[in-house]
Amino acid sequence: MRARAASFGDFKCAHCHVIVSSAHLLSGVNNRNHCPYCLWSCHLDLYAAGDRLSACKAPMKPIGLTMKKGRNKYHPEAHGELMLVHECTECKTLSINRIAADDDPGTVMAVFQESFQLAHQVHALCQEYGIVILRAEDTKLVSTQLYGRYVEIPMLNLT
Amino acid sequence: MNINDENDIGVVFRKTLGHYTVHTNGREIDCSLSSLIHKQLIFPTADPTSLRHRVQEVHEISHVDAVAIGDRVRYVEAGDGRGMIVEILPRDSKLSRPAPVPGQRVFEQVIVSNADLVLPVFAAANPTPKWGLLDRYLVSAEASELPVLIVINKLDLAWKTPGLEEEIEIYRRIGYPVLLVSAVTGEGIEELKQALQGRLSVMVGKSGVGKTSLLNALQPGLGQRVKAVSQGELGKGRHTTTHLEMFKLDFGGALVDTPGIREFGLWNIAAAELAYLFPEMTDYVGQCKFGLSCRHDQEPGCAIRKAVMAEAISPYRYQSYMNLRSEL
Repeated sequence: MRARAASFGDFKCAHCHVIVSSAHLLSGVNNRNHCPYCLWSCHLDLYAAGDRLSACKAPMKPIGLTMKKGRNKYHPEAHGELMLVHECTECKTLSINRIAADDDPGTVMAVFQESFQLAHQVHALCQEYGIVILRAEDTKLVSTQLYGRYVEIPMLNLT
Repeated sequence: MNINDENDIGVVFRKTLGHYTVHTNGREIDCSLSSLIHKQLIFPTADPTSLRHRVQEVHEISHVDAVAIGDRVRYVEAGDGRGMIVEILPRDSKLSRPAPVPGQRVFEQVIVSNADLVLPVFAAANPTPKWGLLDRYLVSAEASELPVLIVINKLDLAWKTPGLEEEIEIYRRIGYPVLLVSAVTGEGIEELKQALQGRLSVMVGKSGVGKTSLLNALQPGLGQRVKAVSQGELGKGRHTTTHLEMFKLDFGGALVDTPGIREFGLWNIAAAELAYLFPEMTDYVGQCKFGLSCRHDQEPGCAIRKAVMAEAISPYRYQSYMNLRSEL
C-alpha cells in the first residue's frame, strides 16, 4: 500500500484550543495523536495509526482506558501498556491510542473514573471492537501504570 | 522567400539544446529558433490589428523553451537541410509543468503539445509505483482535457508491489483505463498498439519504469537504448532517455518518449478548481454546506468528505487531493 503521510506537525486542539507541539522529544511517540492537556483527539486515521487517511476529521472524546497486551517474554506477568480509548463524536468510531509521555496523568485518571458511568451500549460497542474498558476494580492497576505505585486518588471531575 | 507557404509548415519531432528537428512531407529539417519567438510584443490594445501596428513593450516569454515536441511550426528553409522556426501555430492541447529551474520566477515547461493521449507508465515493481505521482499526472491531464491510459509495465516480474491490484481497482472504478503490459514477454502489447493507433500519445513516468523498453516492444526497429534499473540506491532508474523525442509508429500514430520525471508540479491550476480535476469528486462540488467556498478539509457539512466516509471516493485519492491542494 501507499507510503504513510508525513506528520501534520504542531496543531491547535479542537477541544481546548491549546497549541500542541508534535515534537517526539516531548511526547515520546511518533504520531502525536491527542492533546496532552484535555486528551481529546481528532479522527484522522483510518486503517492504521498514523496513516492520516480518514476524511471524518471530527473531534474524538476520550471515553476510557484499556490495556494492550504486552509482548515481553522476559516479564510474562506484566500487564502490557495502558491505552486511551477515543470515540469519534460524529461517526462513533472507536480507536485505542498510546498515552504520550507528556499526557497529564490527572486527566488520564479523571477519564478513567468518568468511564465508570459509561452506558451499556458503549461497552457493547467496545466489545465489538475487541476493546475491554477498564473498570473500577482496575484502579490499582491504572494507578500503578500511571504513577509507578498505587496512589489512592479521590474521584476527579473532568469539567 | 514566402514564409506563408503551406509547404513550410512542419511538426517538431525532436529537440536537443537549441536544435529542433522538424518533419515535413517525409523530410527532416534541422532548425534553430528565431529570436523573435523568445519575445512577446505588447501592443496598446488587445487586438493589435485594430490600430496602428506599434509595439509598446517587449517582454521575454515565460517559457523555458518556447517550442515543444508536437508543435506545428512555420519555418524558413535555408536549402541545405537546415532552417529556422519563425512561428508556432496555435496548439490544440498541451501538457505542462512548472520548470524545475532554480530561481525566483517559475516558468512553464510544455512537455508536449497537440497530444491526443497521455500514458502514465508505472512498473508493477522495481521501482515501486508512486501513486501520488500518478494522481499528479492525472490532474495535469484532466486540466489539459486529455484522455489518459494508465500503463503498468514489468508484469513479468515475479515479485510485485503489495496492494497493486487494489490500487489499480481504485483507478478503474473512477473510469480510468488501466493496461497491464510486459515489454519483456509482450503481454498486453497488442492492446497497447490498438490504443495508440492514429493518435499522438505521450509517455510520462519515473526513470526506470520501462518507457523506452515499451517503445522498443511496440516497434522493434526503433532500437532505442535501454538500461537495467540501478540496484544501488532504492532501485531508482538511470535516466536512459535524456531528451524528448517523438517516434512515428508503423501501425499509425506517434509516441513521445520523455526522460524519467521524478517531480511533477501542477501548472496554472487554481486551488478552488482542483476538485473538478478529480473526476470522482466533480458530482459533489458545490453540494457542500459552504458551497464552492468549501476547501473540503475540516469544514462541517462537506459533501466530498461525506463521500469519502461513504466509500464513494477512495481515501487515498482524497489524501492526494489534500496534498496537491496544500501546494497550490
